Amino acid sequence: MGETILELKRAKKAFPGVTALDGVDFRVERNEILGLVGENGAGKSTLMKILIGLQTVDEGEYFLRGERAALDGPSAAIRKGIGMVFQEGCMIPNLSVMDNLFLGNEDSFGRGPLMPVKAMAQAARGELEAVGLGRLNPKSTVGDISSAEKQMLEIARLLWLSRLYGVDNPILILDEPTTVLQESEVERLFSILGALKARASIVFISHRLEEVVQLSDRIVVLKDGRLMADLGRGQADVKAIERLMVGHELAVEHYRESMQTDCGSEVVLCVKELRLGGRFEDFSMDLHRGEIVSLVGLMGSGKEEVCRCLGGSEVPDSGSIAVHGKPARFASPKNAIDAGIGIVPIDRRNDGLATSLDVMSNINLLILDRMRSGPFLKPALEKASARRWVEECLIKTPSLQTSCSTLSGGNQQKVVIAKWLAAEAAILVLDHPTRGIDVGAKDEIYRRIRALAAAGLSIIIMCDTLEEDIGLSNRMIVMKDGRIVREIPCPKDAKPAPVAVIGYIV
Amino acid sequence: MDGLAAAASTAPRAATRPLASRLLSFASKGTRGQIVALAIVMLIFAIGTAGTSVSLKNLQTILSLAGIPMIICLAIHQVVVIGAMDLSTEGVISLAAVTSGFLIKNPFTAYDIGFWVIPVAILIGGSAGLVNGLINTKIRMPSFIATLGMWWVTQGLAVIIGKGNAVKMLDQRFQNIANGDVMGIPVTILIALGVFAILFVVQRRTRFGRYLYAIGGDETLARQAGIKVDRVKVIVFTITGCIYALASILLVARLASSNPRTGKDLMFPAMTAVAVGGVSLSGGVGGALNAVFGALIVTALNNGMVLMKVSPYLQNAVNGIVLIAAVAVTIDRKKIGIIK
Amino acid sequence: MKMKLRIAGIKPIYISLGMFFLLVAVFTIGDRTFISLYNAQTILNAVAILLAVGLGQVCVILTGGIDLSVGSIMSLVSVVFMLVIGQLGAWAYPVVMVLGLGAGFLNGLIVSKLRIPSFIATLGTQGILISVAYLLSASPLSVPENSYGLVDIINGSIGPVKNVWIIGLVLFAGFFAMQAYTRLGRGIMYIGANERMSYLSGLDIDRIRILAFTFSGFGAAVAGIILSATLYSGYPSIGGTYVLNSIAVVVVGGTAMTGGAGGVLNTLIGSLIMGILNNGMTVIGIDVYAQQVFLGVLIIVAVAVTFDRRKLAIIK
Repeated sequence: MGETILELKRAKKAFPGVTALDGVDFRVERNEILGLVGENGAGKSTLMKILIGLQTVDEGEYFLRGERAALDGPSAAIRKGIGMVFQEGCMIPNLSVMDNLFLGNEDSFGRGPLMPVKAMAQAARGELEAVGLGRLNPKSTVGDISSAEKQMLEIARLLWLSRLYGVDNPILILDEPTTVLQESEVERLFSILGALKARASIVFISHRLEEVVQLSDRIVVLKDGRLMADLGRGQADVKAIERLMVGHELAVEHYRESMQTDCGSEVVLCVKELRLGGRFEDFSMDLHRGEIVSLVGLMGSGKEEVCRCLGGSEVPDSGSIAVHGKPARFASPKNAIDAGIGIVPIDRRNDGLATSLDVMSNINLLILDRMRSGPFLKPALEKASARRWVEECLIKTPSLQTSCSTLSGGNQQKVVIAKWLAAEAAILVLDHPTRGIDVGAKDEIYRRIRALAAAGLSIIIMCDTLEEDIGLSNRMIVMKDGRIVREIPCPKDAKPAPVAVIGYIV
Repeated sequence: MDGLAAAASTAPRAATRPLASRLLSFASKGTRGQIVALAIVMLIFAIGTAGTSVSLKNLQTILSLAGIPMIICLAIHQVVVIGAMDLSTEGVISLAAVTSGFLIKNPFTAYDIGFWVIPVAILIGGSAGLVNGLINTKIRMPSFIATLGMWWVTQGLAVIIGKGNAVKMLDQRFQNIANGDVMGIPVTILIALGVFAILFVVQRRTRFGRYLYAIGGDETLARQAGIKVDRVKVIVFTITGCIYALASILLVARLASSNPRTGKDLMFPAMTAVAVGGVSLSGGVGGALNAVFGALIVTALNNGMVLMKVSPYLQNAVNGIVLIAAVAVTIDRKKIGIIK
Repeated sequence: MKMKLRIAGIKPIYISLGMFFLLVAVFTIGDRTFISLYNAQTILNAVAILLAVGLGQVCVILTGGIDLSVGSIMSLVSVVFMLVIGQLGAWAYPVVMVLGLGAGFLNGLIVSKLRIPSFIATLGTQGILISVAYLLSASPLSVPENSYGLVDIINGSIGPVKNVWIIGLVLFAGFFAMQAYTRLGRGIMYIGANERMSYLSGLDIDRIRILAFTFSGFGAAVAGIILSATLYSGYPSIGGTYVLNSIAVVVVGGTAMTGGAGGVLNTLIGSLIMGILNNGMTVIGIDVYAQQVFLGVLIIVAVAVTFDRRKLAIIK
């Protein structure tokens, strides 16, 4: 066992509604590649944010190179020799490769009034060569280079900075680096990472378990904010890791399964061979009256784009959508809304609500047309409608005139749902409806979703966890790399176990 | 510098409009688009005036006319490079002009500090710019509204100080400089080119220049890279104010008189020149060279119209159309997100 | 230094109201003649113009934009008004109103279809419109002999009530109804509060924005008519100071430059404040240009107080 250079002890971190990290012990050793895996919501991103100083632990301790670390942001983290490589790179697009490489630290090339551009270009060439970018011109603009090159450039920057700050064996965190790469680029990345291991530690986060198993010296599995396993090379295969990622049992009655109703036979939404170039293709599904269908897949599986196409905010290249048997073409959200499709977005505050406006204005947004006589709106009708939906959706608000910014996350979510219900949407797309909502409110949302389905609404849902998907839906559609790979029925008393599903997802 | 625009040209929105995107990627290749535009403008007027407009004498006139607008354009473009805006131009120039008017030999006051007026004026302009920058960064107010307010403040101060009078300048040396030439090249354009040279080197070769583009490209990332963004911004506004003052002295010298309206109608053509020169209003794209070409294009355009006996009142309209068109072509809509 | 200028819990409109009464008190103490009937009339006449142009401006500012062309619309309207009233008679009124509507419509079209920031688009059209005004007549025009009667429709009074005030009130009522009781008014608020959400909720953003600018053009046209009628003349620089005045009226009333907060009622209070402030400063003998300095500062302060910084991560 090598020397431990980073250690997190019993780290706890909670957000409203979720315990992101629940007493995690995590360590990184010198000169190793550590694979970090876990489902969405397992706590990976929180862990990373803590490591680079974007967040701090509620409880627990964080040691870097034997010292207690108190980082106040990514730049402090880099100074201590730990940095993150983001998928698309965090580079300023209008500056050149070498400008980005040395930005903020030009003084290390001399403090004269004019920068020694030639020397800097020379140095940049050396740095680029070290990460296999020898052929990249240091003066080319970052906006013009490929994603793979941006990633490598970022690695080069972290390595250069760690040398500048005199840090030995820096720690590089790579977040899903391979999703933006071609196959040949993946191989190149792996060989470079293999070579880098001699002078750095690498934390490799990926959903592609084969790659993790192939590359890592050690693999750590997170689930629900806990560390499930710490496996040495060769100790685990893909199947075993899958099992660790999802656990075994489904909590009974967690998602109000007893309220689940069978769907009707009438097809409300019929999608045929929908395609959006580079995102997804050959997507077909039928959605029945009163049915809850959950779309399951990793980031990049194409499910988000499918929902955007259904909501009209993105236009598919080909394929057809029919609502209630009538063919529909959505060129804008307005078309989708007119066809009776409502989207409850993941980002409530920015996409779902006008938080600075009051509850009434938000609820009535879509139905103002029905509240007028002649050209003028009738305030009495507006009030009546808003009051009705506040009561029906159990929105806790001091008054109808209360600004939405003062409501809790759960109540804001209910306002968004109420807005669509008021507009009598027949189909709802719920994009992570319980994200950032506390436990009690979550249960209310689950009940509400069940009640809506029972009342005949058809729902497409994307959830935070696989358990939630299985628990809530009548049927799951699993997507991977832009295609449907499986349809799995989830009837009331015969829910599949997560471990039986995860293999199709990753 | 062309990367951003090139990236934008591959964005879906631009792709749906091939002509706009093609124009965009062309105009963004440094200043190639500006050179072509300048050539086209010159060619049209050469034909329209049967050659008069490209006579040596008229070219001299264009250069002589372009000097001061070019300096003002060089001043504003830096603020635009960091993604901000400065609308206080006219007020600051008037204020600097009025104060200098009283300090150079004149019939109203006993002061006559000769060339020492230059640092004094620059101090005034710089202070106004400093206030712009401080309001923008410390009170966190959008620069266009902060500088709009400052426009009024400085313009009002100019009138109060000048009491509305036109002050004759009796020091002949200033006039000789402002109206003089070196081997046929007007001195004002030489001064403008001097300002250009300094800014050019600063932008290309110094840390400060890098930071300007970093802030214009992505302010959040620039901050993360450890750049003291607020300080850089305040300095930029201050330098801009200083350059306004320089232009102001040249204006006073050229007219041999200062008055509280010296800066009148200068901001609009300068802004047009910045935009038409290819300095993107979304920040981070275009530099001093673009400002120079922008000023030349606008001056040639206005000069040509005069030669062709187009009503001078039409110039504003042409500038307005050019401004809107140039911004529409150069702005990076992806970066601004929502257009307000 | 992150200033917390929003005074907790107090709506900007109450601050504005407080300011209004404070100003009346200060100027009354400063000079007894301030409270006189004659002076009250003068103030209200000025307020009517400020109100008209401010009501238009607030529609645009509520969407989160700004209209820098209102001054030149006023100028152009005044020139055209004087040019056509001799021949067209009463038809001159609708003609110049349509002119204002058209100019505003053009602004809206440029902002929403070319997708460029409103302050730069309207800076451009401002140049175009003022150019047209100069082309039509560079020198001041006065009311033709035969048309005094027509112009005095504006300047007349019904008993002690000046017609100008009635125009202001009617305009206010119209804009108020638009804001409070029509879908367009709500749409303007939705866009200003959250444009992205509005788009995702199927609102026709372009249409609403174009209409907001059109209303701004209309307000400026009415202001231009009143101004040229009261001065019995029209000229291209007549509207010069009204760009900043219209912004001042809006922001001093407590409408946020970030959009989605404030409104027509705020603008009424704002125009009263600005009318009193302009007049009061003159009455107590403050130099007109010192007033200008003061107003510049006032705009900056008012914007600083009402500006919603949470909405913009980066302030450019």
